Amino acid sequence: MPESVRGTRALRLGVCGPVGTGKSSLIGLLCRELADRLSLAVITNDIYTDEDARMLRAAGVLAPERIRAVETGACPHTAIRDDITANLLAVEDLELDFDPVELILVESGGDNLTATFSPALVDTQIFVLDVAGGGDVVRKGGPGISRADLLVINKTDLAEHVDVDVPRMVREGLAERDHRPVIALSRKNPDSIQALKAWVLTQVDSFAAGALVPQDPGPMAPHGHGDATDAQDREGHHQHQNVPAGDR
Amino acid sequence: MSSELTSPEHPSPGITELLLMLLADARLPTSGHTQSGGLEPALRDGLDPSRLVEYCRTRLATVTLTEAATAVVCRHRALAGQGTDDVELAWAARTPSDAQRAASRAMGRAYRRLARHLWPDAAVLGELEAVRHPSRPRALGLVAAAGGLSGGQLVRLVGYDDVQTVVSASLKLSPGDPMKAAGWVLGLREDIESMVPRCADLVDPHLIPALSAPLMEAWAQDHAATTRRLFSA
Repeated sequence: MPESVRGTRALRLGVCGPVGTGKSSLIGLLCRELADRLSLAVITNDIYTDEDARMLRAAGVLAPERIRAVETGACPHTAIRDDITANLLAVEDLELDFDPVELILVESGGDNLTATFSPALVDTQIFVLDVAGGGDVVRKGGPGISRADLLVINKTDLAEHVDVDVPRMVREGLAERDHRPVIALSRKNPDSIQALKAWVLTQVDSFAAGALVPQDPGPMAPHGHGDATDAQDREGHHQHQNVPAGDR
Repeated sequence: MSSELTSPEHPSPGITELLLMLLADARLPTSGHTQSGGLEPALRDGLDPSRLVEYCRTRLATVTLTEAATAVVCRHRALAGQGTDDVELAWAARTPSDAQRAASRAMGRAYRRLARHLWPDAAVLGELEAVRHPSRPRALGLVAAAGGLSGGQLVRLVGYDDVQTVVSASLKLSPGDPMKAAGWVLGLREDIESMVPRCADLVDPHLIPALSAPLMEAWAQDHAATTRRLFSA
């Protein structure tokens, strides 16, 4: 069973989701919003080394030396899930070089809907979708959408141009996620930015209090959902090891 | 297996064979997937992918032999209860590319991390407490001492891993039939085995072969400076 992690090191927050949904922008946004109150660092996992890291450095939201890139050998999924060594070494370096670091943001290489972080690498994670990917993506489910600690539906300012009903997307997200949090985000909407910031600060506090238990969104589909008959439903509802009781 | 792995005093041959398999397995969590054995910059600079076997053979006869010899001397020193700082220096003097040294030390850190987890109480790993960035051969030599691998097994491990790293990366960089690739690895077995009599019994760091491969060094330097890498090195 996963154990809670205490605030003797930096909180590691993972940001994953498909290519182009705005992971780097979201990290840039968090740096801008939080750099004055938290000691931050960023690790990027990219297809080609350091595209995202350079973009973030150029954005000037954080001292460039606090942004590091990890090569994944064309295996972005492996680097955040099964062999997390390269990322952990980068975490270790940043913690030593900029002691004390309070929050390390780890960006996954843009992958598909199945890629999520190992709880051995990050303490909490955000899965990012955008409205331009279509209003029905949330309903497709998948581990990140269904069970990441936070689902962000990004670029809501584009919704009217792509005929997406944002409130409905959020509703469907909440349903798909058994009411784990969903934030509809636009960098043009200050309230949405405040909501994101508040969520992250809650995670930081929870971590500092030793109350944060890293959860694996998993590669596996959950059992017992959907239109099962009563008989199938009873059979499907066996105990999960990676989901605490009360979370289902 | 773990209880046997943690008592390295006199492991049976069967147990050391299992350890060798574990260490040679790409699924070992040491970030092996980030490495191409210098192949990525070589291909970028125009190396003909059909000459991959010759590329591997060149490495085995040069940089990989130096690496294997370094590992063997470190193993010997650790078993004798002696330090390996000067062995690392001897390796560094024979590895003129700072990019290659940095890549090796990044891998060494990954092995250090794993070794300390697998053998938390092994006296032969004591040195790793203070040495945070051992070169890969140094870390591997100490791991071999902790796990009871022979010098010959250690040399085979270094040689095999180098070939497999390059060949596996080739399937990402210049994909072809993976069965053919497996055949290349098998086809290089004599080259790997021929390293054993050349360095498996070395104990003196001064006798570590100094075999420079200038083109590979130049590629490694280029690679460290490019901003578009799939592989770390």
